[in-house]
Amino acid sequence: MDLNQAVGENYANPKTCFFHVLFKAAALAFYILSTLFFDSFVIIFVVTVILAALDFWVVKNVSGRILVGLRWWNEIDEKGESLWKFESLDQQSLSRMNKKDSWLFWWTLYISAVAWIILGIFSVIRFEPDYLLITGVCLSLSIANIVGFTKCRKDAKKQIQTFASQTIATRLSSTIQSAFSVV
Amino acid sequence: MSHGDTIPLHQSSQSDIDEIENLIHASVQSSSATVLPARPPSPPRASIPISTSPSPSPFISSNLPPLPPSNQKVPSVPSAPPPPPLPSSSSSSRVAPTGFGPAPNTLTEPVWDTVKRDLSRIVSNLKLVVFPNPYREDPGKALRDWDLWGPFFFIVFLGLALSWSASVKKSEVFAVAFALLAAGAVILTLNVLLLGGHIIFFQSLSLLGYCLFPLDVGAIVCMLKDNVILKVIVVSVTLAWSSWAAYPFMSSAVNPRRKALALYPVFLMYVSVGFLIIAID
Repeated sequence: MDLNQAVGENYANPKTCFFHVLFKAAALAFYILSTLFFDSFVIIFVVTVILAALDFWVVKNVSGRILVGLRWWNEIDEKGESLWKFESLDQQSLSRMNKKDSWLFWWTLYISAVAWIILGIFSVIRFEPDYLLITGVCLSLSIANIVGFTKCRKDAKKQIQTFASQTIATRLSSTIQSAFSVV
Repeated sequence: MSHGDTIPLHQSSQSDIDEIENLIHASVQSSSATVLPARPPSPPRASIPISTSPSPSPFISSNLPPLPPSNQKVPSVPSAPPPPPLPSSSSSSRVAPTGFGPAPNTLTEPVWDTVKRDLSRIVSNLKLVVFPNPYREDPGKALRDWDLWGPFFFIVFLGLALSWSASVKKSEVFAVAFALLAAGAVILTLNVLLLGGHIIFFQSLSLLGYCLFPLDVGAIVCMLKDNVILKVIVVSVTLAWSSWAAYPFMSSAVNPRRKALALYPVFLMYVSVGFLIIAID
């Protein structure tokens, strides 16, 4: 770990980065190149959407955790209300995260969303609304991840601030208490 | 002490939802980076009033363990017990946690655990929703651990089965089936919400997707045997099964006087899918 950080220029988790990018690139590549090989919309749809869904799962559950230390999910509580939960590593670990990893994480998320938007526009221009279905599904998956992780990151920053002020307050009060107990 | 650094595992029987307790009770004051011993199964659900994050700090006081990257894809975890399936009766009898102690950290669990957890959630949701279960406590609450993977697979599968059975225009059949089911689920959910019902959007989507399972079975049978009478019988049976599965959830979500208004469109959608299955040749 220290070795990786000391080098500074390397990815700390190359395998995770690879998988993070792999499914996104595979979905985009398959969608773009498929018309050269396949005539059938069904196969294109199913394979692209499966790759996009796998990518969504990988980003949400694996690379989000490992590359940037964030996680988000939704749950329903006893009263039937829907709650969005955000989870992040503590401040120390967050600051130890590899910068290159997180740069890759965020930028590939944004770029793939933009790519799907462009492909969607193309399919509208070419009057092929079927393909708009594919791009729509992939785009909504990408956007869900972006929104989830952005909210999680903002939440983490907020928590850091409250945590810091809480710690200071706790320390202060315990110091005062010990001062009094001495007396 | 620093178990978390070397034991990346925890009870993989927890669902994501159960991890909340772990977050809340991870003690922040002790900033020692300990990850806590494995929890007992079937932990209770947290009752968290705040919408975005629990009011005690959500920080898990475990540092990212300085493990070699092989942690990420650990396929065999020596001390992991196999995840028990979520017992259906415990899903609504949960109590706010008090003494469960610190809990393992899902941020550092190995990938295989996450996969297993999600798979077991799909299976348990399927069992809860579709199969007759006299011990189901409150059907309206049974799908709390909603997930969209099951519905996704079922819709795609149904589209594939229909497309396969069709001799012409396969692509259109698939696109129509998929769009019909996806848009139908969204519209039906909006219908319930606009009727003043209390249902969570994703929960309802998930429910309507899982209730497609019987129709999937029907579509497979019809694909294999091409006899019209058999198809009609099979489709009617599976259609009745789907509607029966969807009924408790939908009806518990709305005002009793508006039950029919909420249920009729669901039934209509399944009938139209049934017709698609019969009519495909």
